[in-house]
Amino acid sequence: MSVIETKNLSRIYQDGDSEIKAVDQVNLSVEAGEFTAIIGPSGSGKTTLLNLLGGLDSPSEGSVSIEGKGIHELSDNELINFRLQHIGFVFQAYNLIPVLSAQENVEFIMLLQGKSNQARQERAQELLQAVGLDQQMHKRPSELSGGQQQRVAVARALASKPSFVLADEPTANLDSKSTEDLLDIMHRLNKEEGITFLFSTHDQRVIDRAERLIYVEDGKIKSDVKQ
Amino acid sequence: MKSILKIAWRNVWRHRLRSLVVIVSIILGIWAGIFVSAFSFGLNDQRKESMISTQISHVQVHNESWSEDQGVEHLLPANDALVNWAKGQAKTQWAQRIKVVGMAASSHYAGGVQIIGIQADQEAALTGLKSRVDSGAYLDAEQSNPILVGGALAEKLEVKPGSKVILSFSDRNQNLVSAKFKVRGIYHDVSSQIEKLQVYVRSTDLQNLLGLESNQYHEMALLLDNAADVDTLSAQLKEAIPSLKVETWKELAPELAFADEIMSQALYFIIGIIMLALSFGIINTMLMAVLERRKELGVLMSVGMSKPKIFSMVIFETLLLALLSGPLGVLSGYLSVTATADTGLNLAMFSDGLANYGIGTIIYPILPGSFYFGTGSIVFIMTLLAAIYPARHALKLNPVETMRTL
Repeated sequence: MSVIETKNLSRIYQDGDSEIKAVDQVNLSVEAGEFTAIIGPSGSGKTTLLNLLGGLDSPSEGSVSIEGKGIHELSDNELINFRLQHIGFVFQAYNLIPVLSAQENVEFIMLLQGKSNQARQERAQELLQAVGLDQQMHKRPSELSGGQQQRVAVARALASKPSFVLADEPTANLDSKSTEDLLDIMHRLNKEEGITFLFSTHDQRVIDRAERLIYVEDGKIKSDVKQ
Repeated sequence: MKSILKIAWRNVWRHRLRSLVVIVSIILGIWAGIFVSAFSFGLNDQRKESMISTQISHVQVHNESWSEDQGVEHLLPANDALVNWAKGQAKTQWAQRIKVVGMAASSHYAGGVQIIGIQADQEAALTGLKSRVDSGAYLDAEQSNPILVGGALAEKLEVKPGSKVILSFSDRNQNLVSAKFKVRGIYHDVSSQIEKLQVYVRSTDLQNLLGLESNQYHEMALLLDNAADVDTLSAQLKEAIPSLKVETWKELAPELAFADEIMSQALYFIIGIIMLALSFGIINTMLMAVLERRKELGVLMSVGMSKPKIFSMVIFETLLLALLSGPLGVLSGYLSVTATADTGLNLAMFSDGLANYGIGTIIYPILPGSFYFGTGSIVFIMTLLAAIYPARHALKLNPVETMRTL
């Protein structure tokens, strides 16, 4: 069964009298364990598509199903809880909670899930170790480099054991070394733990490592190839 | 909940200076509220106590008709029985008085006065009149027709000890009587109005001039060691001699009793206003805190933090400010009141104005314990109310709008 499935998914914005089709009749299916990149020029609708897939935005037409469940039929509170249980997010600007340490940031998601203190600590330490930050667990985001913060963000996204991880331009703010490190980590997690990753990116290094490339232009899928 | 509280606590200190400004404002607001309240209570107590101790006493006894017509003929009935009863009361001072309205005149001025005939020893013990004689001496038995004049009246009459004053009044047969008195001393009172209006002479002199017997008086005033026993004593006296009109200080000076009753409510109202003003500052600060963290709050919603938890977090942040500042404000208020309660605050520079209202120049701040608790509760409630608007604002944020991009 597909982890993500969209049917005729559209998102139309009003701009005065004219309509802008940010996402236009997209039919997409993502299987478990994929390492997929959504690519395309700026303004092509990549981010809007990710917002729709993550339940952060509502479609104008069509539907999004996550593991067979239509997410836009859920109420606001149900949707927040659904995101908590099923979707991991990695943001371009990391967006960690600045007043919490790296470990507390990772634990926070599990805290919202109601996991026990011990389970949270064990999982957070395990994930931070997996992303190579076992020495920086108690540092706050302001004490970490951009690459390290993004690795914490990946660990946080995985903390809830989500069905898949959505990452919007995850390497946009990182230098080459940090980008390579991050991609190595995500690729390893994909291969070893079978975690599904779906990126939007401009970064050629990410494109080179992706196993499936979905090219979007003017809100439509222009090509969808496995490499 | 513990973790939400932990995040809220850290958020409070995210902008240290801003939080400290709010905390210090609340502390100052509470301190000011408490200290002004204690000062007002002290002022009121001082006025009440000085009026009771120097003027009205705790209980006064008169003829039934006295309150309607203070005529010479309205004497205390059953005076001997009353004196016997008063002598039997432990821990009670008492004095008897003759009171008549007349005119005091010197070569410079003439004006209306209340002439009070007293037994010197009784009055000295009851109202401390002897200790309030500033120049000259207290009334004594030897001199002929001695009189004590208030400082303010002495200035108007331009008299000093040894000067002569003519008192004119009607006797019990409505005949006009004029008599020459010699100023024995000048007394002071906390109220300059009293100084202008009351003169004291020996009761025997006044009884002779009015044509009264030596056991005929208009008034008996009683002062108890324990003010809480006033109602009991009043009731006992009414039962013992029903023909008397017995009134407590609350009946004699209802404005004093009313001030006592309304003081707490008025001061809670003032503290409420102070806190209302502060709560707008709190709303402003918390709204700023929410608005500058819109993106962060959007991220929290995106990753699965429910709206009740977001709401709780903002409420906790606000309440933590109150919990930090409230006790410190109450404590600083308590310490200020305690530090000045014994020494008092010397307001000598306002002494003329205060004297017009019967208030001494040293005010001793005092505050009931319940007031500290009440103030703390007001702070907590007002802060909670102030937290609701920013917290509701946080709930209305839309994750996509706040982040625009994932």
